[in-house]
Amino acid sequence: MAFTDDELVAKSVGGDAESFNQLILRWERPIYALAYRVIGREEDARDVCQETFLRAFRALPGFKGQAKFSSWLYRIALNLCRDWIRRQRRAPVMQIPEGVDPGELAAERGPVESIEELVSRRELSAVVEEAMALLPEEQRTAIILKEYHGMTFQEIADMQGCPLSTVKTRLYQGLTVLRRHLEKNGQMTPQLVKRK
Amino acid sequence: MSQTFTCGDYGALVSYLYDECEPNERRAISAHVAVCRGCAEEIASLGATRELLGAWSPPDAQLGFRVVSDPSPSNVLRPSRWWLQPMPAWAQAAAAAVIFATGVTLGALRATTGTTDAQASNPQASNVTLTAGPTAAVTPGDLSALEQRLRAEMSQMRNTNGPAPVSAGDAQVLERVRVLIQDSEQRQQRELALRTAEIVRDFDAQRQGDLTRIERAMGQMDGTTGVEVAQQRQMLNYLMRVSQRGQ
Repeated sequence: MAFTDDELVAKSVGGDAESFNQLILRWERPIYALAYRVIGREEDARDVCQETFLRAFRALPGFKGQAKFSSWLYRIALNLCRDWIRRQRRAPVMQIPEGVDPGELAAERGPVESIEELVSRRELSAVVEEAMALLPEEQRTAIILKEYHGMTFQEIADMQGCPLSTVKTRLYQGLTVLRRHLEKNGQMTPQLVKRK
Repeated sequence: MSQTFTCGDYGALVSYLYDECEPNERRAISAHVAVCRGCAEEIASLGATRELLGAWSPPDAQLGFRVVSDPSPSNVLRPSRWWLQPMPAWAQAAAAAVIFATGVTLGALRATTGTTDAQASNPQASNVTLTAGPTAAVTPGDLSALEQRLRAEMSQMRNTNGPAPVSAGDAQVLERVRVLIQDSEQRQQRELALRTAEIVRDFDAQRQGDLTRIERAMGQMDGTTGVEVAQQRQMLNYLMRVSQRGQ
């Protein structure tokens, strides 16, 4: 039987560590993905992910359920990402993507896709990652929360502590920068590039 | 929400793009987009950008974090041991001095032992080592001859019932080894000279052959050119004759 987050939280507060482990299992991938997309470094994203759950576990008795458990986790993770970015302010946020190894790609993806498609997708992923690195932190975070975590404008506004209209502006400006970068790198089709 | 939409309302455009607006606002934007090509293209290109964003996936990572309610002693944080803590400067200096003194003492001891060993060892050993290098050039016949000589000397020594002076025997062996080495070197030099002469001869032969071929080719070219010149002369003479007849 699958428990809801709230049930697992309640059991965890009661001292059941295994329930918290189920919460970790449920949320570690999204939290890791969020951390990786915000800070762009695999190892550091893992550290942020681990620290997020550690802090959540310690702060669990104080969690009163005003927000969803996932939103609470996201908030902790984003705060940790922000701290990390502050510490790394002088260093580039994103690493340069490494060269594409078709053999490795084929081995890890299986024979369903052709090598060309795999390489193309990996290249596209690298271009998107590169484009995201160009965005200011607030725009990047807003787009990540919207595009990859399906949050509503209101949830993002709560998470970022800003008005709803600011979230929309950040999304629009961020998407515009991304579009420009993708056009420049030949990832957008010509008919879509042509605008007034 | 507003019933109309005007170009440049990016907030409303984003709401429409993410399908997060009221139904009447959505209807208003849809109606506008149907007639405004600029806004339609803007929405289409932003939608295409969103589609491309889906290609970005984080790398797989080994996660699997767990909270352990009863951690084993190895997982519990505790003050570090004294031997894991950094040593003070005076202790580091003292340790360095002790290590240096030990090294010097060991080095001195080893040097003394090495000298004593060398003095105590059989001097014949050095001779054997010296002969190890050139043996590669000595033929099996030489070695068997040397063996026979050595056996004969040893049997002579046994027959005399007393050890022969070591230095005299060593000198003889050394002398014979030197002779063998000299013979071997002379053979090698002769062979090298022979090989060098063969190479020079082959090179000369090749050079002569190449020169002959080049001369032949040049002669053919000369001949061809001469024939062509003669033909041209004949042609010119013919033309001259024909033109004079015409006049």
